[in-house]
Amino acid sequence: MGTHHYDPTQHPEVRQGTILRYVLATVISAAAMVGAYYVAMSKPPLVSLIEELAGTLLVALLAQAALYFGLDVSRAQIWKSVSLVLTLPLFIISIGITVWAFSSLYGRTMPDPAIMSSMAM
Amino acid sequence: MHSEKPTLTAKTALWAYEGEEHDFISTRTFGFWLYLLSDALIFAGLFASYAVMDNPMSAFGHPLANGLLSASRGLIQTFIVLGSVFSVSVGSLGLKTGNKGLVLGGLAAGGLLGALFIWFGVSDLQVMAAAGNGPLESGYLACLYALLITHALHMGFGLLWIVAMFVHVARWGLDAMNTARLLCLRMFWQFQASVWVVIYVYVYLFGGAH
Repeated sequence: MGTHHYDPTQHPEVRQGTILRYVLATVISAAAMVGAYYVAMSKPPLVSLIEELAGTLLVALLAQAALYFGLDVSRAQIWKSVSLVLTLPLFIISIGITVWAFSSLYGRTMPDPAIMSSMAM
Repeated sequence: MHSEKPTLTAKTALWAYEGEEHDFISTRTFGFWLYLLSDALIFAGLFASYAVMDNPMSAFGHPLANGLLSASRGLIQTFIVLGSVFSVSVGSLGLKTGNKGLVLGGLAAGGLLGALFIWFGVSDLQVMAAAGNGPLESGYLACLYALLITHALHMGFGLLWIVAMFVHVARWGLDAMNTARLLCLRMFWQFQASVWVVIYVYVYLFGGAH
């Protein structure tokens, strides 16, 4: 594939990055992680902990997807965005269903740790 | 890639006689993006197994993540990895103007911060193992080590890539091939930050809290 006539400086993926994007992505990600840290340190009830940690994580990941990776619906990036959207259900299936299946499996098949320790005595 | 609709005449050919060349850089970056998505599924498998094992029974008398790892130390690692990604990303802005110095500076700063990140991670694992919480002690610890080491290996491979690109750019400059490679490296390094924030939230902050 010949490259002698190609001007890489004009490629949309080269032109796309800006200092503002990268500063924003870094600051938003760092701020979200600091927020998550303080949420975890305050030891809220489990449901609140899950909700707040998931919220901060989502903010960080969205900021990185939009500002670091530059995912959008432009001609240069549309197929990256589409492939990510099509891959997201695989994450949900592989992690979510596995966790759900095993959380109920433990309850149904594993002995209670308290009974186990009393049997060991 | 054609924006104008061709005019049909009696001489219009219905097929192209010569192959149409794909965009040189986009072909590589999109292919590499698909690799990153499949790599993310490897991490999804590791997260799933970690989640299954994340309970006292699987820890077999050993502490869970909140008793093994420091959340504040993990936050420092988060800042370091974000700083590293920021450096490499800002360095890649040199591609716009052909500023080789900016690219090399970004790679150097990002590489140094990446090495510092790996040093933090490896020393954490050494302390855990020295305290009797090695990877062979329980299913939970095996999953925890597998997750952290897989990410550290990615960072290590990225460091090797940074060194290789430093040499390539210094010697051969910012031609189309090196530009495509640098764009892929930037994506790979940014992807490590995305994986790390999930690890930090899920393992360091949520791990063992339930």
